[in-house]
Amino acid sequence: MTVEREAAPTKTEKKMKYILMMNGKKSDFERYARWSREDLQANVSFMRTFSKELKDSGVFVSTEGLGWPSEARLVRAGNDGEPITDGVFPESKEFLAGYWIIDVENPEQAYKVAARASQAPGAGGKPANMPIEVRPVLSGHADLGL
Amino acid sequence: MKYILLMSGTRAGAETYHASPKQDINAHMAVLHRINQDLAESGEFVATQGLSEPKEAKVVRGEKNGLPVTDGIFPESKEFLLGYWIVDVANADRAYAIAGQISAASQNIPIEVRQFAAHEAKSR
Repeated sequence: MTVEREAAPTKTEKKMKYILMMNGKKSDFERYARWSREDLQANVSFMRTFSKELKDSGVFVSTEGLGWPSEARLVRAGNDGEPITDGVFPESKEFLAGYWIIDVENPEQAYKVAARASQAPGAGGKPANMPIEVRPVLSGHADLGL
Repeated sequence: MKYILLMSGTRAGAETYHASPKQDINAHMAVLHRINQDLAESGEFVATQGLSEPKEAKVVRGEKNGLPVTDGIFPESKEFLLGYWIVDVANADRAYAIAGQISAASQNIPIEVRQFAAHEAKSR
């Protein structure tokens, strides 16, 4: 279950929302699909513990895992506004594999959480040290100066 | 079925957008806001989120000691996530139609449409 909720900062603390993204090429996803059952289980079990830690420490906002890149479609509006779909992507394309949104005090705390996610076990059960992209999320249009 | 609609762009593209006249950005936001309202009314809205500018992005890796190592260097071709919508719709075609509306409102920028992972879907 994923719950999207608005942060309710108290008057004394100003929290900041960050998104932690895991990206991978199609070939990375294909490699992941070939992991042994044990390795997959170790990874999933790490992710569950990680989510629980985020919830217990009060920084969790939401998380989602995305489906396979082979199911991804690119949609553009045609002249009449009708959707035109396309499933062809360059090999170099990085697909979003999943993300976490957290509500923390400062960027350093977000980086620390990202480092923990980066250490999720990979093939062979060793920490994969996969790169995690970290960005602040916008709390409203005010962030665009509107 | 839940789908995520992803809007992505290069750093240069994001900078061009942010440098455009305030009234253009306001007009764009107003259309997106209307799309969000329509989705809320039809009961298909789940969540939406805009991301900060690509220049604020960092890449984090965990080292052996578990400490974060940060880096903000990306290839120029990198496509950054600019924002997303999560919708709960009857079928893929409806998700594509909504993505088409968002694309039409946003200078025909392509919108990537993806489903959530199967194991996630089962737990719902």
